[in-house]
Amino acid sequence: MANVDRREFLRLVGAGGVGAGAGFMLAESIKHPVEYLIPYPVPPEEFSPGIATWYNSVCGMCPAGCGISVRTREGRAKKIEGNPLHPVNQGKLCALGHAGLQVLYNPDRLTGPMIQNGERGADEFVKTTWEDGLSRTADRLAAARQDGIYFLTQGVRGHLANLFELFMGELSSDRLLHYDFAHPHALYAANKRLFGEHQLPYYDIRNTRYLLSFGADYLTNWLSPVHHSLGFGHSRHGNDGVRGRFVQIEPRMSISGAAADEWIPARPGTEGFLALSVAHRIVADGHYEGDDAGEWRKALSAWSPGRAASLTGVSEATISRLAREFARADPALAIGGGAAANHTNGVDNLVAVSALNYLVGNIGKPGGVVFNPEPVTGASAIDRQANYRTMQKLVEDARDGKIDVLIVNNTNPAFSLPLASGFREAMAAIPTIVSLSSFIDETTLMADVLLPSHTYLEGWADDMPEPGVGFPVGAISQPVVAPLYNSRSTGDIVLDLSGKLGFNEAIPWTSMEDVLKDGWRRIYERGAPEPGDFDSFWRDVLVSGVWGENVRRGDSVTIAPGAIEGMAVSEPRLAGESGDYPFILHPYLSSSMYDGRGANLPWMQELPDPMTSIVYGTWVEMNPVTAKEMGLTDGDLVTVTSGTGSIEAPVVVFPAIMPDVVAMPIGQGHDALGRYARNRGANPIEILAPETDSASGNLATSATRVALAPTGRRATLVKTGGESRQLGRGIVQSTGSRSSRGHSAKLNSIPIVVEVAESAVVESA
Amino acid sequence: MGVSIVPTLKVLKPAARIVLVALVGIAVGYFANAAFFPGTKPEQPIAFSHRIHAGDNEIPCLYCHVQARRSISAGVPSVNKCMGCHAEVAADRPQVALLTNYWENREPISWIKVHDLPDFVHFTHKRHVAAGIECQTCHGPVETMEVVSREAPVKMGLCLDCHRKNEVQYGTDCWTCHK
Amino acid sequence: MNIWDRFVSSWREFRKDGYYDEFDYAWTMTIDLDRCTGCGACVTACQAENNIPIVGEEQLGRGREMQWIRIERYWEGEYPNARLKFIPMLCQQCDAAPCETVCPVTATYHNQDGLNAQVYNRCIGTRSCAVYCPYTVRYFNYNDHRWDAPLEQQLNPDVTVREKGVMEKCTFCVQRIRQAKDQAKDDGRRRVRDGEVQPACVQTCPSEALVFGDRKDASNRVSKSMNDARAYRVLGELNTQPSVIYLKKVDADAD
Repeated sequence: MANVDRREFLRLVGAGGVGAGAGFMLAESIKHPVEYLIPYPVPPEEFSPGIATWYNSVCGMCPAGCGISVRTREGRAKKIEGNPLHPVNQGKLCALGHAGLQVLYNPDRLTGPMIQNGERGADEFVKTTWEDGLSRTADRLAAARQDGIYFLTQGVRGHLANLFELFMGELSSDRLLHYDFAHPHALYAANKRLFGEHQLPYYDIRNTRYLLSFGADYLTNWLSPVHHSLGFGHSRHGNDGVRGRFVQIEPRMSISGAAADEWIPARPGTEGFLALSVAHRIVADGHYEGDDAGEWRKALSAWSPGRAASLTGVSEATISRLAREFARADPALAIGGGAAANHTNGVDNLVAVSALNYLVGNIGKPGGVVFNPEPVTGASAIDRQANYRTMQKLVEDARDGKIDVLIVNNTNPAFSLPLASGFREAMAAIPTIVSLSSFIDETTLMADVLLPSHTYLEGWADDMPEPGVGFPVGAISQPVVAPLYNSRSTGDIVLDLSGKLGFNEAIPWTSMEDVLKDGWRRIYERGAPEPGDFDSFWRDVLVSGVWGENVRRGDSVTIAPGAIEGMAVSEPRLAGESGDYPFILHPYLSSSMYDGRGANLPWMQELPDPMTSIVYGTWVEMNPVTAKEMGLTDGDLVTVTSGTGSIEAPVVVFPAIMPDVVAMPIGQGHDALGRYARNRGANPIEILAPETDSASGNLATSATRVALAPTGRRATLVKTGGESRQLGRGIVQSTGSRSSRGHSAKLNSIPIVVEVAESAVVESA
Repeated sequence: MGVSIVPTLKVLKPAARIVLVALVGIAVGYFANAAFFPGTKPEQPIAFSHRIHAGDNEIPCLYCHVQARRSISAGVPSVNKCMGCHAEVAADRPQVALLTNYWENREPISWIKVHDLPDFVHFTHKRHVAAGIECQTCHGPVETMEVVSREAPVKMGLCLDCHRKNEVQYGTDCWTCHK
Repeated sequence: MNIWDRFVSSWREFRKDGYYDEFDYAWTMTIDLDRCTGCGACVTACQAENNIPIVGEEQLGRGREMQWIRIERYWEGEYPNARLKFIPMLCQQCDAAPCETVCPVTATYHNQDGLNAQVYNRCIGTRSCAVYCPYTVRYFNYNDHRWDAPLEQQLNPDVTVREKGVMEKCTFCVQRIRQAKDQAKDDGRRRVRDGEVQPACVQTCPSEALVFGDRKDASNRVSKSMNDARAYRVLGELNTQPSVIYLKKVDADAD
């Protein structure tokens, strides 16, 4: 260390300095970043920091209307759970319901009113003020002709639906349409035709011992899936030793099909023949002893199981056995949906299915079909539900220049109508389109003025679920967080517009909350309580999240006159010749995407499809034998072509689908709706043929024939599941039904504590 | 064994001194940072003195830090809590004028957190207050502090020592705090 | 005692009858495969409750999924007699967990509630535990995760957000268990009551296939459920002694 010359010294000093600096920076970089404690100027009364506050509300993710409890911390929504008090879902909630948080906090939400600044559909929206947006809209509305204003909304119920009616009434327009892709038009029409009831009954799956489902995917998205799942669970193992039996009849195994004890493939559209032949056996074997037995025998005489067997693909023996089992089970229940409902003969099919319920005498009984009393709000939006025929009329009116203004509220026909409908092109012919939607989806992309609504977690509304649960139920959807952005409650937007248009006499309220309070005051007065106690009633409804009335249908529901003689199922029509288009396309509602609304929610994109475990994509399912014949395996990209369009999707070999049917999930294939949804997958609705059920005007979604052609390319199928066969690993174990009833059975169980012999531990020498 | 490492080492000898000094420099710089800039006594937007409030005026901790008894976080008082007294008391002092300015603009005050635990530590004030532990045990003699500084090393050792000494049931289970 | 003797006596104690009676609570879950419909509500509920990241298509394509509870599906048979069976698979909280034995830093261990605890801040990311786990229910954070604003507003403040390099897995919603115990203490009660704590998956299962509780109390729902004639343990032959008990699916047309 002795000799340090000047250069050396300077080098050492430099090294020391740089080292010190480096050490300093190192210490700085691993330091914890500064955090802040930021109190409120005035602390809110509703919550304390660090303690969760729960709000009860109504889920808005599908039409079932489940009650939800939302956990919030410091004014932010953290978790949506089911409201244990709500009779529809009793504390449970489906996957899509949980994803409501991602609707609220979605990065692609509209943050305030906007005006289209470029060509229509160009997505060159610029911000504007509410005053500007409302004035523009009000001016156009005021200038419109009678019946020149169309209001196209997602299906709403309760007092918001009433408000829409009043508003349109004041605008002198009768064109109020509630449009939902999955609305069960055929079921409404069937209940009307057979029972004269213009409503959906309550199907009591919980108490049934035998469920015969003709295509209805009741566990996933038919009517009220959470309620049905509860019922399914109870029927399986909640009925004290008696296990309910579930039979599913459909062309492609759905989730309900996987849960069923027996899955029976039947050609789409032929389920009605099957139901009639089962009914034929029930009557012929003497299981039905009603006064009108003779009429039934006559009406069903032509429907022997032999005849149905050739039409449906289901064997005569099976049909006879189903009839026997169905008649003997007490109670038994038959439901219809899916391919049975959404076909050209959908109503016929469902009437035949409903007839089975009548014949086993379960109408109005537990475990059967229970009709609901009158809805409490009086007005019902049932008649406003737009089927395909109504939408076709809208398209024609647009083309004929009859529409001055189209108002759209959170519905997306530009995505969920087939291309053959011409909806997108027709929109170009409408002079003014105003959207109240919260997101820019394909329909809202075509709008001129955007007046965004709050999401259901931020705004006020109410709901009376349909189908009911056998007695009147209502719930208020209240805000669970302060609004994130400069949007407004849908009801408030309508009130603002009506204020600008001077409709103050018929529509006197200033806020949606007032509309609700007024409406609920009337509900409160029905119960004739102590005077002046409405405020505590209102508070109780909000705190508990639900209201109900113990009122059941008193009268007995009977067959409508002429319905028995008129019992007939027309032949299902399929669009396209079988020579050119050898397959029948069966599009189905995905459990995560529903009708496409889940595509912009990352949780739903990442939720593996229960049957295939695929995420982030669209695929076309085909029978293994068919796939082998065509030389196709998982991941081969094919074109699916109908008479009206063509899309591309990878093949998935699916063991439980009929050989000449191909199935595709609905929900992807968006070109708008935000970053998670865009440019992903394909939309099978696009290529559906415009076939309708003449009895209900409903689009026949399983009536399109398609051709598949390999493209030679492959696509990556992202699956979370691995090997789909157990290969003897015994992971999922089954037991016969005898052993499940508590008889001594061989258990593959190992006790928790294991005795180890003293000498098991080897000691070293 | 024909090759020896010694010639290589000899060549590096001049560099050795530089490297050695550099390493010593790093160590010095690191510890200088820790000693002189520990971040334990940050400057706050308003020069609030606990000595005046909690010390001289003997205001109880829980009067302002209300949440400590029932929540995981003790919280700091909201601006209107301060104004509860300072609308009248000492309204002419410059720091109180700053406070009044915040209140008039309804602006929250961004206090810098002194006792900041990492995000993977889930400490709950409620249980500790309920157990009768004095605030000073972890926060030090706050009632003597002009500016709040972090007296106790808020590291896991502090927690474990106390949990062991007081024989907290399952107090040494990792998931008690690191759930 | 020398170190070998200490080792042997600890081993003997571990393997003795009554070792597990030392548990304060013995949290157990039963899953009724005859009720499970494969809907996936439990998967999303868990994701929402536990700040599970959104992995993205590309990472999922590399097999890096993050689902503390997943639905496995197995086909049996061929058309037209094909059947599909679902089984929810989550950390089995094994009492003789293979993962606990291998962690070099004891970031995973068995706590007094019978839970297999994973301590994020201790984990150094060797991933051996994931290899040892026969159920493949341990998930590694290969990336730092981000949520597109404002999706991060939804994150649960009671659960740590994990960063790159640590293992994670189902915790039986330990934050809910801790909160229930906290509540019990506030109420002056000594024990958590049956049904008071339900992990997110159990709470939301629409068909009530999942039951959760403390098996130390024989009157609890889960105690009765786990002694059902149909009870079994997945890969039971490995003797990991899982705390998750499955009830066999019923094949109604077999004996």
